[in-house]
Amino acid sequence: MAGSALKRCPLEGRVIVITSGKGGVGKTTATASIGAALALEGKQVAVVDMDIGLRNLDVVMGLENRIVFNVVDAAKGKCKIKQAAIKDRRIENLYLIPASQSDNKDILTPEAMVRLCKELRKEFDYILLDCPAGIERGFENSVAPADEAVVICTPEVSSVRDADRVIGLLYARSITPRLIVNRIVPEMVENGDMLSHEDVVEVLSVELLGLVQLDNQVVISTNTGVPLVLQKDSEAGQAFRRIAQRLDGQEDLPIEIPQTQKSFWKKLGIIIGIGK
Amino acid sequence: MDAQIQDKSQIRLKGVRDGFWVTLDPSLPVNYIQEELTRIFNQLQHLASNSRVTLDVGDSEGYESVIEMLRAFLKSKFNVASVNIAPAPPSPKEVFIPGDKSRKMDVSSFWRQHNTDALVIAGRVRSGQKITAQKHLVILGDVNPGSELIAGGDILIVGTLGGTALAGQPDNEAAIILAVGFKPIQIQIGGVIAVGLSAAPKHTIEFAHVEHGDIVVEDYIKTNPFGRLTWPEVR
Repeated sequence: MAGSALKRCPLEGRVIVITSGKGGVGKTTATASIGAALALEGKQVAVVDMDIGLRNLDVVMGLENRIVFNVVDAAKGKCKIKQAAIKDRRIENLYLIPASQSDNKDILTPEAMVRLCKELRKEFDYILLDCPAGIERGFENSVAPADEAVVICTPEVSSVRDADRVIGLLYARSITPRLIVNRIVPEMVENGDMLSHEDVVEVLSVELLGLVQLDNQVVISTNTGVPLVLQKDSEAGQAFRRIAQRLDGQEDLPIEIPQTQKSFWKKLGIIIGIGK
Repeated sequence: MDAQIQDKSQIRLKGVRDGFWVTLDPSLPVNYIQEELTRIFNQLQHLASNSRVTLDVGDSEGYESVIEMLRAFLKSKFNVASVNIAPAPPSPKEVFIPGDKSRKMDVSSFWRQHNTDALVIAGRVRSGQKITAQKHLVILGDVNPGSELIAGGDILIVGTLGGTALAGQPDNEAAIILAVGFKPIQIQIGGVIAVGLSAAPKHTIEFAHVEHGDIVVEDYIKTNPFGRLTWPEVR
């Protein structure tokens, strides 16, 4: 695994692909948040939007208006990596390499991405690849240079099914994936209306990296471009910070299970024995 | 080297990998044996010298002197490297006679001649993966929803079945599908299809089989479908 490779050559950065198979489960939000959290830990981080033709990561990070060059230009040698990497406004050490909006996924090849990431490894500690939905060319391009993979899934049967497929494909490429279960609603899990993270892990049987609960702050963050991890009251943001710490080597950091938020009066009711 | 010299003579010679195999009956007159050996070994010409000869005399008991004489004869006349005696054939008791099966079944060996037809797979079968077996399929691990198993015979899963399982393809309706944790999306045995099977409590061993043209799923331990067989059979 890449962890051992990292120990052998400490100057080389780790390339981590963030993928899910299914669309709309939170890959882009997770990439932006984990990237920001790793940068806050003092690491040099590049987040790369691999969704050629449907770029989003720049919007989520609030860097849309600063794009001059993109990942296609960098991979094809039309510009230098430093020209394509946009520095984040708020967080030191965080850089975005945006996707091209006018091309399609066939313009990149896995070989070109391997070459690009080889260069990026020299400059950055972490290179996070935001994989597009699907398992076609965009997926191939994103997985080819990756040392590690993080699979995002939501507690829905369809998402679990697609994550399972993607995990199979990652294993076939000798990459051991780790799992983030996103958008957990603790109340629904308690009532039995939603799959619990145990159910998801039982089916997928991969190492769990973290649990993230559904958080309205994500929508606000996405629309305003303010990083989620900078919002102290965001449960999801804090969960992503812990995930980043775990990725960064704090393996024994306990995984917090999202709990139902109980109001003061409900808590008081439980203490004095009325209500549930 | 494999040429077999087998004319009317009662002595036969066969070329084997590292020498010659001579079959003869030691009860024949010694003169006759010597004449025949001379004739056969003369045909071999230079191949005979320094060759390794094995004498197959069947049960050699009581003929040690004859064998010793023949050994000396072959060594001196044809300059062979060595003369060995073939091991005695196994006694009739140890030989398994297939035709005898109907009267007396040998429990320990009747399936020895049966080569295994089972494909045994260990690990988790994930969504999108498809496993095809010519005959029986054994999965040591879970089978996730979205995967597909196809077998010519039985499908036995030591784990949870969550995907699609097709046993007895194309037309063997005697096949079964067995799993510890039986919650498939769809199963098919021979040409019979069943969907929407109600999930049983966790870790119950259940099996599906065809009964009067329909697929029936039953508790394996309670039903014990093969308990009534009088004899272990090869499936």
